[in-house]
Amino acid sequence: MARRHKDWLAKTAALIGFHQGGPRIVAVNEHARSAGIRAGQRLADARTLVPDLTTAHAEPASDLKLLETLAGWCERYTPWVAIDPLGGALVDSGFEIDAAAELVDRMATATFGGDGGLMLDVTGCGHLFGSGIEGERALLADLTARLARHGFTARAAMADTAGAAWALARFAERQKDLLAPVAGHRALIAPLPVEALRLDATTAETLRRLGLRCIGDLLPMPRAPLSQRFGDLLVRRLDQALGSAAETIQPRLPAPAFRTRLAFAEPIGRAEDIAAATSRLLAALCGQFEKAGVGARRLELSLFRVDGSIERTAIGTGRPSRDNTHLMKLFQEPLSHLDAGFGVELMMLSAAAVEPFDTQQVALAHAVGGEVMQVQGSDASAALPARSDDTEVIQLVDRLTQRLGTANVVRLAPRASHLPERAVIALPVAKPAVRAGLWTKVAAYKGPRPTRLLAQPEAIQTTAQLPDDPPRQFNWRGSLHRLKRIEGPERLVDEWWQDSVSIEKVETAPSGRDYYRVEDEDGQRFWLYRDGPLNTPAVLPASRWYVHGFCA
Amino acid sequence: MTIIFPNAFAPSSASRDDAPVLVLDRAEPGREDELRRLRETVRRIERGSVASTAPSIPLDVPEIDAVLPDGGLAGGALHEIVPGDAAHDGAALGFTATVLGRIAAARRGQILWIHRQAGALTAPPYAPALAAFIDPARVILASSRRVEDALWTMEEGLRCGAIAAVVGEIDKVELAATRRLQLAAEKSGVPALLLRVAEKKSAAISAAVTRWRVTSAPSRSRLGADGESLDDIGGLRWRLDLLRNRFGDPARTETPSWLVEWTNEKGHLAVVSETVSRPHGAPAQRLAG
Repeated sequence: MARRHKDWLAKTAALIGFHQGGPRIVAVNEHARSAGIRAGQRLADARTLVPDLTTAHAEPASDLKLLETLAGWCERYTPWVAIDPLGGALVDSGFEIDAAAELVDRMATATFGGDGGLMLDVTGCGHLFGSGIEGERALLADLTARLARHGFTARAAMADTAGAAWALARFAERQKDLLAPVAGHRALIAPLPVEALRLDATTAETLRRLGLRCIGDLLPMPRAPLSQRFGDLLVRRLDQALGSAAETIQPRLPAPAFRTRLAFAEPIGRAEDIAAATSRLLAALCGQFEKAGVGARRLELSLFRVDGSIERTAIGTGRPSRDNTHLMKLFQEPLSHLDAGFGVELMMLSAAAVEPFDTQQVALAHAVGGEVMQVQGSDASAALPARSDDTEVIQLVDRLTQRLGTANVVRLAPRASHLPERAVIALPVAKPAVRAGLWTKVAAYKGPRPTRLLAQPEAIQTTAQLPDDPPRQFNWRGSLHRLKRIEGPERLVDEWWQDSVSIEKVETAPSGRDYYRVEDEDGQRFWLYRDGPLNTPAVLPASRWYVHGFCA
Repeated sequence: MTIIFPNAFAPSSASRDDAPVLVLDRAEPGREDELRRLRETVRRIERGSVASTAPSIPLDVPEIDAVLPDGGLAGGALHEIVPGDAAHDGAALGFTATVLGRIAAARRGQILWIHRQAGALTAPPYAPALAAFIDPARVILASSRRVEDALWTMEEGLRCGAIAAVVGEIDKVELAATRRLQLAAEKSGVPALLLRVAEKKSAAISAAVTRWRVTSAPSRSRLGADGESLDDIGGLRWRLDLLRNRFGDPARTETPSWLVEWTNEKGHLAVVSETVSRPHGAPAQRLAG
């Protein structure tokens, strides 16, 4: 909110929401806090303290969106970023957490009903900033400094467990970021109030009434009576904060297994530089793939701009690939549209989808002198050696798909349908689903078909000698075609099993099309059809004539 | 500026034996080799620095192959097919598929078919009908709305040596674009077909090696058991005009033109004699209409 109202920084300001019978304070800024205004107060009470209090309505929905954006931005530090919207959801099971950083945006504290925050699992990420504890301290400093530059006031804390970090970030009395030493979080959280354990309000209130004001009071108590009296949650929270119970951070997005990042001392902006950096990232990632024996199906490139916005782009491949140059070619097209803005300070490349890389890649159907070899199932694929031709074609298809879109690079396969517009289905090229010779077989039991089928049949006016006869001439697109030869009809009945055709209609008056291949005086050949109820004279107004295609 | 290509050595067919330079003693093997080398040199001089070594693809129609240099469609080159007018699109597509069928038999690999979804060509070729000419399973169909994308796709395909042929159905193609396609085809040896739409102007400038105009012609009448000609459509007939034949016989002034017939049963193209051949006993007035 403070980002939107710069002048607020100097004022005593608060956000209000309407609940529990009147306007109440939802969040406050630093000046208001020092004036004694607290979240949860009635607005009237706050006004008595500070008469010229500046207020605005809280917007939880847009605040959550902002938090989402921030979470995306935090992926520069770790893929394990979770949004902690209202004081922590229950998180059970998972792995051991060595370190967790908790970031609380103070203004976000204001905007998120006092509790909104982000959780980052930064296990093993500190080394990117320095060695050991120094690296972690640098990471934390970098995080708050960058957030401050973008106008956010953040309180960050890092500790061995997510629970401890959460408590320290929100309740610790301090001025600066807090980094709990390894295994030192127990002592640090002991003086904090019980609310720091992420408890619900009633439990916290009961504890207070019993004189258990801080976490330290709970630590020496036997667990069994505690859990009997206050339920499982308290004990679990306590164990999670101490690290004796595991807690995982559920990442906002699935964390990619393969990832490389490249930070720049100076922001880069030239397209050549970005391309060169992408190429370096790719080389590193392909090395990772090589070790793991996998290939990429989908890669995502994130460009972190200096102004805090993130530009993302992705490429996909038809077959798992770890071919550096090929993947780089795929990136060329999206990179040409990327906008570096004021400069890019960090680039990250992650593999969103990988598949086992088979050096004996399955061969596409290919022909030797007109005779088509075909791969059927996995048994045949083992016998065929990897073909460089196929790799070339697959890579070509990948490039085309990248530019034209998946739906626009296809292979055509026959579909079991009488209706001509439904008889062809487009399949992804990488799937060798069409058996060689299948088309010839399918075409053999069908009548003549046009070389081009119009996407939309065009209505024509026809003239026939007799009511039941096919037309002798027709008018199409303003020109008259006198017919010399007529071949047909080929009757195609509506497929009643399709949703668009009702069964009642089929039973009362079966409808369908009578197709004719016709040739006019000039030798032009068309594919016409008569639409309407069958077994009725062709001149009835119910039957209409259409051009559906051009024949060879 | 008119460019005249010295081409006396180019055709190897027997029809060129009357040219004075080619009167040679066939019995001498040394001279044969020398002649071949000489032809290759001339070819290189004629066709620029990137002389494609891709073998030419005969259409298996002796009359047409005799007119084409090296007895067939040049391998790594751009060929254009133009329908007589918009309504003859079906025939042009049929001829394109026929040519593709010849290429597919001669070369291995996939066929890349690029279709621009705009203008007159709103629908892609219909695979069940293509099946008579080529196996549609070998075709990779790429569609695009923008001309630049379609041309880029063609060029990418032509650069990939593993592709059997590249076909483009693109309406607006500039001279520079055809030159790029021609160069890409020369380099990789992949034949390229460009199916254009009928133009109002006589002939667009293009860097293509050949340009064919295809017009549908009345089909052959089939005779019933009683000798009466039937109402149905017999062999498909097209009028082919070879509007442009770069590296062809420069002495030839008139545009070569053939009436060809495609028979589905035999699966090949044949030139039909232009003289009206009426089966014995068939009534003349039926043919006259």
